[in-house]
Amino acid sequence: MLSRLNDTPCSGDPAEGPHGAGTTHGQAGATPDHGGVGLDAGERQIRERVAAFEELLGDPHEAGNPFGNAALLEADERGELSVEAERALAAFRLNDEFVPRELGGNLDRIDGLARVLRPLFRRDASLGLGYGVTSFLAAIAVWAAGDEAQRGRTADLLRGGGRLAIAYHELAHGNDFVRNEFSARPDGSGGYLLDGRKDVINNAGRAEGLVLFCLTAPPGQRGPRSHSVLLVDTAGLPEDAWRVTDRYRTVGVRGCQVAGFSFERCRVPADALVGRQGGGVETALRSFQITRSVVPGMVLGGADTALRTVVRFATSRELYRRSVLDIPHAQATVASAFTDLLVCDSICLAATRAVHLLPEQTSVYAAAVKYLVPKLLQDACYNLSIVLGANFYVRDGDYGVFQKHVRDLPMVSLGHAGSAACQATIIPQLPRLARRSWTQGTPAPEALFRTGGGLPALDTDRLVLAAEDDALVASLLAAADRLEGPREAGAELAPVRALVRALVAELTRVREECLALGPHDRTAMASPHAYALADRYTLLLAGSACVNVWLAQRQDGGDFLADPRWVVAALTRVCRHLGLPLPEEADEHSEWMLAEVLGRYHEGRSFDLYDTHLAGPLVDDEPAAARH
Amino acid sequence: MPAVTPLEAEYRDWLVTRLSGYLRRPENDINVCIPFSEYGMDSVAALSLFGDIEDAFGLYLEPTVAWDYPTIEALARFLVRAGSDGAL
Repeated sequence: MLSRLNDTPCSGDPAEGPHGAGTTHGQAGATPDHGGVGLDAGERQIRERVAAFEELLGDPHEAGNPFGNAALLEADERGELSVEAERALAAFRLNDEFVPRELGGNLDRIDGLARVLRPLFRRDASLGLGYGVTSFLAAIAVWAAGDEAQRGRTADLLRGGGRLAIAYHELAHGNDFVRNEFSARPDGSGGYLLDGRKDVINNAGRAEGLVLFCLTAPPGQRGPRSHSVLLVDTAGLPEDAWRVTDRYRTVGVRGCQVAGFSFERCRVPADALVGRQGGGVETALRSFQITRSVVPGMVLGGADTALRTVVRFATSRELYRRSVLDIPHAQATVASAFTDLLVCDSICLAATRAVHLLPEQTSVYAAAVKYLVPKLLQDACYNLSIVLGANFYVRDGDYGVFQKHVRDLPMVSLGHAGSAACQATIIPQLPRLARRSWTQGTPAPEALFRTGGGLPALDTDRLVLAAEDDALVASLLAAADRLEGPREAGAELAPVRALVRALVAELTRVREECLALGPHDRTAMASPHAYALADRYTLLLAGSACVNVWLAQRQDGGDFLADPRWVVAALTRVCRHLGLPLPEEADEHSEWMLAEVLGRYHEGRSFDLYDTHLAGPLVDDEPAAARH
Repeated sequence: MPAVTPLEAEYRDWLVTRLSGYLRRPENDINVCIPFSEYGMDSVAALSLFGDIEDAFGLYLEPTVAWDYPTIEALARFLVRAGSDGAL
């Protein structure tokens, strides 16, 4: 099966790349190049695309900008996607991001895909999902399991600006999608007859192509081999045999056109079958390893804007004759939210690069990142809402985007895999990983933790359904060893050392409890204790990602990310989320982190690992910010 | 139906015990001909069975083995063959 998304060899360490530093785009002067002494071509391409996209999206505070806050809030109130914005995204050829390079698109790196889509999610999750990502979630099954003709057709559709809708789930069965009843029965002449309903499907009414998850086995033979994935061209369907059902109104992503389908003895040709008959669950689980890895890294953009909006409020609003940002609680909340964003981005980085570097292990990491990141981002936004006070409830004006992002976050999180479904993927694998891998596993290659740089080609055939090893945990232990050794013996690193020690001690406890899990805890009926263990495990993975991102940056001699203070703050947050007693050396470095937040806010740079330039004028100090 | 060999019976007994643990049902409640999924064992949980088999018997199998041999009867018979063929 042809499933390699490109044939570029691994270019390895970006520092070894043959290219000079150079500017990456017109505004490169404002874009720090972390460790980017020499960038390989792929990395340069990603940075250029990110910068060009941000430029297209323009100044968020400009009244006439279709990607500005005012226009996006209005579209959200109307429950529409702006026609003008969609046209601009089509002209930008955003769909090329979802099509493998060998089929004419830009897709060859999953971390790059998350980074390119992030600017759009900083503006509006409805556009992010509704214009584009939904098509990617559908197409990945075709890239992973489709034949040449299906891949070519899908690439042509997307590159021509068309849409694919994805219908895996059914409302009655949630993520227990093996229970799905939507059926595709062989029609006797090689094709299938579709029968049943699919509900709550994004773009149901306007997609040219559908990717459907259907029961293909006879009734009574239902199991993991009884479903198949079908790729259907809506233009070719007999008109009287199917219809689009009424639109659903949603709490968040209100602009998305969410509806359903109803089919009755609707004939589709034999070439609709993607992969083999009965291979649907396997194709779905493989596809999820990519989609679950990549979506959280996009969604992070919404939390960036939530934080930025609160900083804007807190620096311009006077209370008790001081700015809100003079209040210690507000300072701590803003600093902690930024730290949580860095924690989230670190695990997003590791998960997206793992798809290339550790495909045999991503079943666990994809579920972990899809579970943890939305949860941390939502908690951070809740805390930020307290700083915003009554302005949290206002739906327009300067701070109106905050409530939109807060409503959108849970929608994009639940969108294709709920938290419980992700935990249910992790839990059955924990006892075996604990026994086999957590004391003697092989650490991840350092490239996993680099914020840029080449990756081996994506090969979806190497994605397996159950992990045999756990390199992220092994990398936590390796980092602990390195910090205890002569190489990192400096006294200034004592806080990192103490925090990593605390995480390793927690790992030991989690391991013992995982080894003691009964067989009953492998199923969806697992005890609440097993779910709590999965939660703690994902936080340990996040801690490992943070400390290893920092170690990799130290090697490269970067600036902010090479400084031990951010990783001390990040690991302190992770220990807090774990509910661990904090070691004496723990420190959120609130003042220093706050200064970084304000610097990036005023200079228009992103609140993530990449510190990229944002569109719009520099933020002037507003009256109340000239305080003291 | 061919007679069940002692080795196959051993696999069956082990799987019955295992499944009764997964499902919290008495062993004599488990029918070897009923698919795992009919007992409420979801497809993702069934993926963990291959690891247990590997640990107990040293047989290296695909994670999807319990999907392709979805009853105790079918899986036990397959394990006999897998064991005699060496690695599968």
